[in-house]
Amino acid sequence: MTSPEPIAANIAAWTKRNAEYTDPSAARAWASTEVRWGKFGGPEAELDVLGDVSGLDVVELGCGTAFMSARLARLGARVVGVDPTPAQLETARRMQRETGIEFPLVEAPGEAVPLPDASFDLAISEHGAAAWADPHRWLPEAHRLLRPGGRLAFLHTSPLAYCCFPAVGQVTEQLQRSYFDLHRVSWPGDDGVEYQLGHGEWIALLCETGFAIERLIELQAPESAVTHAYYSDVPAEWARRWPDEEIWVAWKA
Amino acid sequence: MSDSIKANIRQWTKQNAEFTDGAARRHWNDADIHWGVFHIPESEIGSLPDVDGLDVVELGCGTAYFSARLARLGARPVGVDPTPAQLATARRMQQETGIEFLLVEAPGEAVPLPDASFDLALSEYGASLWADPAKWIPEASRLLRSGGRLVFLTNSVLVYLCAPEVGVVTEQLQRPQFGMYRIKWPEGDGIEYHLAHGDWIKLLRANGFEIEALHELRPSADAVDPGYYDFVTVEWARKWPAEEIWVARKR
Repeated sequence: MTSPEPIAANIAAWTKRNAEYTDPSAARAWASTEVRWGKFGGPEAELDVLGDVSGLDVVELGCGTAFMSARLARLGARVVGVDPTPAQLETARRMQRETGIEFPLVEAPGEAVPLPDASFDLAISEHGAAAWADPHRWLPEAHRLLRPGGRLAFLHTSPLAYCCFPAVGQVTEQLQRSYFDLHRVSWPGDDGVEYQLGHGEWIALLCETGFAIERLIELQAPESAVTHAYYSDVPAEWARRWPDEEIWVAWKA
Repeated sequence: MSDSIKANIRQWTKQNAEFTDGAARRHWNDADIHWGVFHIPESEIGSLPDVDGLDVVELGCGTAYFSARLARLGARPVGVDPTPAQLATARRMQQETGIEFLLVEAPGEAVPLPDASFDLALSEYGASLWADPAKWIPEASRLLRSGGRLVFLTNSVLVYLCAPEVGVVTEQLQRPQFGMYRIKWPEGDGIEYHLAHGDWIKLLRANGFEIEALHELRPSADAVDPGYYDFVTVEWARKWPAEEIWVARKR
């Protein structure tokens, strides 16, 4: 199999997904004011990942259509959205005009962010750089962008879910691939390159980069959860028993 | 004494007669530090500090061969275990080898040793699997000096998820992750404790530890299937971690 340059491949994949889903659903995503995590909507009010963001300088790495940044802006944060995919940033700009919630949007991958050192209090990624950028490159960028004591919070698919995905179709209850060799994952018929590490490797990389580990929140879908209409590869029933998504929280030591 | 401590003393009295007493001489004579059922050398993992001159407490030391190895490297170990039969084996080996150190009969949940008296707290399938983490992690924290390290080896979360009721670990998720904490297997009396990674991090930090490392162990391709502790094969453990070592530092 040929391996296209991953950043270009992910821009192509997200240009397609934006046309398919994130552009048409942007108005709904921007209209929702509550901060929630993951496809089953874990409420920030319960999880308390971010704390009070009012007055904080926040950078979102891989913001997509920037609905998460918009929600944080409404709570008084000064946000900057960063994403490599022009089509998603165009959608974000349209939503900014429609809603009047304006903040800078920067076209760049998580691996190389053209913003100054030590200029943010919080770096977040919600299935953005946390899934689609090389962690050996985006974590050092997040570290560089943060002020000392600044926090990093990112959400992505759990390594357990990666282990249980077949090549095509919904997640299973069977171990399908080695945990030790996740690193770069691609799916048949999809150009994108996803990155995932084992938990021990995340801890090692975060610590080597200069972060201290605060939390790992393994998300459980609530009893009332229903399978997501677009991100349907994990049935709600699976996610009630095993974590399909997780949030790492660390701070710049 | 809690039911789980009593049950685990019963279990380990039996396993000592069956295996750990008979294997004690071999384990004590082996001077190399290695981890887990695949004997992965510490030199490949790097989970321990230089132990020379350190005060070390081993929580759930069993027959205390790990403490003996650290004593040979210049550590001052104290072995703690709730099972009298295993401590009797440990004392016999101390007499045989001349490697002497303090052995204390106590569960990891309540250790009769003073606060802030150790540089390293260690558990190798001891308290780490057989004591209640909500109790032994605070004990480890209390026993350590500021800056001291906690290092423990236990089964991986994936082993817990994929182990059938009886027999060798499978490639199928057998039970949910959410709600995992305490389990009694149909074979044997013992009660084991298994935490998800997020829960270990939460518990460790709540007890004054900073997370330093999680070593998810992978045996080399030429490793051999375990003998007595035959819950997993090399083939499985080459793809998924069967065992893990946590390293944390007391603030």
